[in-house]
Amino acid sequence: MVRLLRIFFRLQLVQLRSALEYRADFWIAAVGAILQQLVSIVFLLTFFGHVTSLGGWSLWQILVLQGLVMAADGIREMFADGVWKLRADVNDGSFDRVLVRPIPPALQQFTALASIHGIGNTSLGLVVLVLGLARSDVGWTWWSVPVLVLTILCGTVLTASISFLTNMIAFWEPSAQSAFPTLVALMRDFAKFPLDVYGAGIRIVITVILPYGLISYYPSRLVLGVGDSPGWWATTPLIAAGASALAASIVWRRGLNHYQGVGN
Amino acid sequence: MTAIGSNTPAWRGRTTPGSKYLSLARTTLQQAIAYRITTFFNVGLTFIWVIILYYLWRAAYSGRASIAGLSWDQMRTYVVIAYGINALVGWRTGTAMMAAIRTGDVVFEMVRPLNYCTTQLARALGFTVVEGGISMIFTLVIGLVFLHIQAPATVASALLFVLALIIGFLTKVLVVFLVSLLTFWTLNGMGLMWSQQAIMQILSGTIVPLALMPGWLQFIAKVLPLRGIVSTPLEFYLGKSGGWDAVGLIGLQAIWLVALWIVANLAWKRAFRVVEIQGG
Repeated sequence: MVRLLRIFFRLQLVQLRSALEYRADFWIAAVGAILQQLVSIVFLLTFFGHVTSLGGWSLWQILVLQGLVMAADGIREMFADGVWKLRADVNDGSFDRVLVRPIPPALQQFTALASIHGIGNTSLGLVVLVLGLARSDVGWTWWSVPVLVLTILCGTVLTASISFLTNMIAFWEPSAQSAFPTLVALMRDFAKFPLDVYGAGIRIVITVILPYGLISYYPSRLVLGVGDSPGWWATTPLIAAGASALAASIVWRRGLNHYQGVGN
Repeated sequence: MTAIGSNTPAWRGRTTPGSKYLSLARTTLQQAIAYRITTFFNVGLTFIWVIILYYLWRAAYSGRASIAGLSWDQMRTYVVIAYGINALVGWRTGTAMMAAIRTGDVVFEMVRPLNYCTTQLARALGFTVVEGGISMIFTLVIGLVFLHIQAPATVASALLFVLALIIGFLTKVLVVFLVSLLTFWTLNGMGLMWSQQAIMQILSGTIVPLALMPGWLQFIAKVLPLRGIVSTPLEFYLGKSGGWDAVGLIGLQAIWLVALWIVANLAWKRAFRVVEIQGG
């Protein structure tokens, strides 16, 4: 395990070095990623210029949701963006190279790309989160901070697993062009707002099928004390992370068995 | 007149400059059709926010008749059509321009005896037939079946809407074109596209109508050309401006369009020089 972690960070460092050769590119990507997140913040600020609460949530409480999702996704971007290269790699056959190395293929895929610009989203997410918490009048207890940290880390695992899963479509449907994984990844935006406002269908999807709500809405309600929330909701991020990681590893195994190379 | 001559009318048509561009548009259209499934998802993912915004505004309007002069019916209509318009010139138009520059295919564009900006407009038109068509399907299905959007306020406002929509389309293509020219200086097209999309979403009035924005942001958005892409057509659609107001809005759109056209042509010449330097 320690050895694997060492290899993981070593590989990340190599990618990072090559990425840092293009400094201007890093800044452009970081600014672009931050601007994308700012769209929903600008919307929220405008929205709350005209209303005082949304489904019982204040502006600052919603910023907590936004911050949690952004930070989790930012860390995912930094450490696991390589899964987005899977489709291209399977398509042009360079995935063969991954299979012959004596390192777990999944590990290599995670480190196939260093998106250091994820640090932009991570910092913005943390700033938004802290701002939201500071103005939300939180009843702090000893478990508040641990739950929040756990939520971000599990959120990283969840978003990484879901991106990994959707990109594995390459093993069965080898058209590298599909926007399907992006569509699923963007569904996380639903979890940036209190789930109470949505209809039942969306609430079920965001809780059970693509459980982005488990890494924002449920733990936030507990920490912020919005409405009645059972204590076990503190473990919802763990459920989301565990289930999604398990699903990803099962499908990954099947995908590897299914993979036949591009050959000609 | 021989039999062969009468069998190939399309070929003779290409000698006039106008139809050269048309045939470019047709070629791009064929490329775009090949990627229709991808395009379907690309347009579909922009509509995620239509669903989010619908629910957020529904909550906001509970127990209120209007917000900043817009009724619930109008707001719903605004959200759906705004995203429909925004998808007209979609992801592929921009990435195709950038890809041409990155792969060096742009050289072929340079040796053609055509105006490069017009070439890009023609190509964008080809993509738009497909992207716009799919976006129209989404807009109509979501709008009419689920969200029950309103029809244009009057016949006049419908006509103004179409006129503003066309100018807005040209404006957006030129803006996307200008952004894509930056790929002559940087390799990171993705970052540029993200920034362009985000700024466009805010300042065009897609994410939220201009009338609701805080004062300082509203001022910036009202002066810049991006409002002409989404906000201006929708103001006509909803019947929010007419008479001299409408003349002023169309005038502003037109002035910006001319300015962008001049800037785009100048910028293209600058970029052209950069290529020469790299090659020399």
